[in-house]
Amino acid sequence: MEVNIPKTSAVFAALLRADLTTQWRNRRSFVLVLLVPVIILISWKDIVDKLGGAFALSSCITIGLVAIGLMGYSNSIARDRDKGIFQRLRVAPVASWSIMASRLTVQLMMILLLTLLVFLAGFYIDHITLPVAGYLFTFFTAIIGGILYLGLGQVIVGLIQNPETVNSTSRLVYFLFIMVGMFGEFGILGEKVKQISLWSPYGTVKHIISAGMEPTTWNNEATMALLVAIGYAAVFSGVGIKKFKWNNK
Amino acid sequence: MQEQMNVLEVTGLNVYYGSFHAVKDISFTLRPGEIFGLLGPNGAGKTSTLSAVEGLLKPRSGTIVVAGFDMKEKPRHARAALGVQLQFTSFQPELKVGEIIQLYAGIYGVAMPADKLAGILQSIKLEDAADKKFGQLSGGQQQRVSLAIATLHNPTLVLLDEPTSGLDPQSRRQLWERMEVLREKGHTIILTTHSMEEAEAVCDRIAIIDHGAILVIDTPQSLIDTYRENPAVVSASRRGKITLEDVFIGLTGETIRS
Repeated sequence: MEVNIPKTSAVFAALLRADLTTQWRNRRSFVLVLLVPVIILISWKDIVDKLGGAFALSSCITIGLVAIGLMGYSNSIARDRDKGIFQRLRVAPVASWSIMASRLTVQLMMILLLTLLVFLAGFYIDHITLPVAGYLFTFFTAIIGGILYLGLGQVIVGLIQNPETVNSTSRLVYFLFIMVGMFGEFGILGEKVKQISLWSPYGTVKHIISAGMEPTTWNNEATMALLVAIGYAAVFSGVGIKKFKWNNK
Repeated sequence: MQEQMNVLEVTGLNVYYGSFHAVKDISFTLRPGEIFGLLGPNGAGKTSTLSAVEGLLKPRSGTIVVAGFDMKEKPRHARAALGVQLQFTSFQPELKVGEIIQLYAGIYGVAMPADKLAGILQSIKLEDAADKKFGQLSGGQQQRVSLAIATLHNPTLVLLDEPTSGLDPQSRRQLWERMEVLREKGHTIILTTHSMEEAEAVCDRIAIIDHGAILVIDTPQSLIDTYRENPAVVSASRRGKITLEDVFIGLTGETIRS
């Protein structure tokens, strides 16, 4: 008997079109993830003057990346798994990796859009300008940082099955990362916490994004932060994929 | 004349969940164009057997060959020959019915121009539902969409996991008619059900499964004829006339399963 096996590219295109439509129709979370960093940037006008444009932009992009990975990605995966959407896709002639690759591609597009919006807000509202290489390099470092947080989101949906528990856990981790990261960075929580936060997922991502905005000042410490961020991304993705179950029944 | 190839061959299937032996050495075959019912109490192993056939569960041992393709060696080919309606099927709630059909058409490599999409919606009496979201449809309408998607690519074998559970009698009758239409078009159907009425109404052959093993396989009438004198079946009978339900209760016992 003969069967029609569709091309992987055609299957991927169909999945991506559906996932982009789903993302677009989830306007509330879509706007929230993109607007929060921009609103923070607008309200930080004084900080831009004191600490510099790179500090403000990198903080806002990092906050947006944490939201995309922890709240956007992990919650949508947990919900679709709970509703059996993945199982329905997996009984079709679809490679499992292409289901996830399509989801991740949408999130990578969100990361690029977030970075672009923060740049535009920084330019028009706070008059922050970067060298062309700085803009380009920041897109690269934002993607590295984004992969790290998508990996962390994957760990959460890998270890936790219940979508409501995933939701509350991701929110908790989101606030923990941002609060400890920001207060720790300023030394408010003591020197030890400052060192930990500098090399935490929050600190390393913020560091590489900030350093990437001014490529001429890129130094060994920035390279070290980049390597640590890649290490975090690899470990989180590895654990998240290994522990992930397509079905929570 | 050359004998027609079996549409599904399940041989020595064993499925475990940890140390729990859910499916025990099950073997059966499906002939082209037949409607085959898998009946059993809750937790008997029906859905586990179907999940293994669908490729969602990895069996500990045994072989599953769909339309000539071994599920272990050629899973994409085997899945392409399958049309599946899962027990708890859901589609992305943000997508409209037309978009969901387009998505699965893309996945199965089926061209879906607007007139073909309109024809599919018309055939399931949902002409005006293309722009409705799946979650806005009634249970019966969702089942019709789900079945239309399961058969978009003209699969050799259609698997329906409790397709009429939760449907009103009208929707159930309509689904049975659709199964007959599918059979007339040459599809083979395997379904799981708790409804003896459904099994008698639509199935050519049924297998009664319990504690992970197949107890009997035959036509509904042959099962009634064979077990008519069986004491357990006679004692299960409530009105003197032996029914398929009496045979089922007689063979699987009266204890309620969780």
